[in-house]
Amino acid sequence: MPFTRLLRDGVVAGAAAGLGAALVLWLLVEPIIRRALVIEEARGGADHATGEGPLVSRALQVVGGLTTAAVVGVLVGVVFAVVFARTRHLLPGSTDLGRAAALALVGFTVVTLLPGLKLPANPPAVGDPATVTERTLLYLLTILLGLLVVGLVLAADGWLTHRGVAAPSRTVAKTVLAIGGAVAVLALVPGSPDSVPKDVPATLLWDFRVASLAQLAAMWLVLGLGFGALAEARTRAQRVAAPASV
Amino acid sequence: MAMTDVPPAGAATATAIDVPRWAWALAALGVLSLYVVSQENGALLSAGAAEYLHELTHDARHALGAPCH
Repeated sequence: MPFTRLLRDGVVAGAAAGLGAALVLWLLVEPIIRRALVIEEARGGADHATGEGPLVSRALQVVGGLTTAAVVGVLVGVVFAVVFARTRHLLPGSTDLGRAAALALVGFTVVTLLPGLKLPANPPAVGDPATVTERTLLYLLTILLGLLVVGLVLAADGWLTHRGVAAPSRTVAKTVLAIGGAVAVLALVPGSPDSVPKDVPATLLWDFRVASLAQLAAMWLVLGLGFGALAEARTRAQRVAAPASV
Repeated sequence: MAMTDVPPAGAATATAIDVPRWAWALAALGVLSLYVVSQENGALLSAGAAEYLHELTHDARHALGAPCH
């Protein structure tokens, strides 16, 4: 299967994933953002733009946000296609659909869930602008350490296979290593330095975090299954055309 | 790995697909773009440009769980 076709699948599935995410953003996340903006306004102080009124109007922020969600889907789709091509032989599953779903699950866990557990998503009116750089570094560090755990699991698998350890035992070892690694990352990386302001209700925070995870889960789900279905269709078509060489 | 499975044709011979060099550059560009769109707050762009970008992508940044203010 030529890589360029796989890349096209990544762009198409990524666009679908981005549009799906934008839809969830619009329907589930935006209403909660509006609740948070009411709190921010009630404080009366200058909002995000330092005192001179908003730099970008609310309407443009909504359109910009939806567009960004869609663009992020396409970008993730491109990276997904490259990683899938390179790691296809390592991914579990006996079909390309299964392998793509597995890769999407790894992506969701390492790039979304792990940093999301360490530094949970927050609506407006929560983050301290003074700590945004520190929080960004912690967020990226969590993702990098998560990728390191994935690398360790793959390395351990290769080492155990080399030593002739049977598949079920390897699966147990890899599972223990992956969970242990994730727990270690969550324990070692420092949490957010911010404290939640008193005027932000806990329910608002919870609703926002659930909606944010729902949006990201939708993105990974559509990407994994969409990409998998497209790649699977190619493999099948190829198999019919040339049964001997897949 | 799946020795006992009876995989459909092609599954047993699943191999990595050759990734051309330009595709790695494209993936790197993709990761960089993801950073700029979702995380950049002045490390790469000028303060003014970064702030405008932050405000424009604001809602998606919050929704994606990216650190924001």
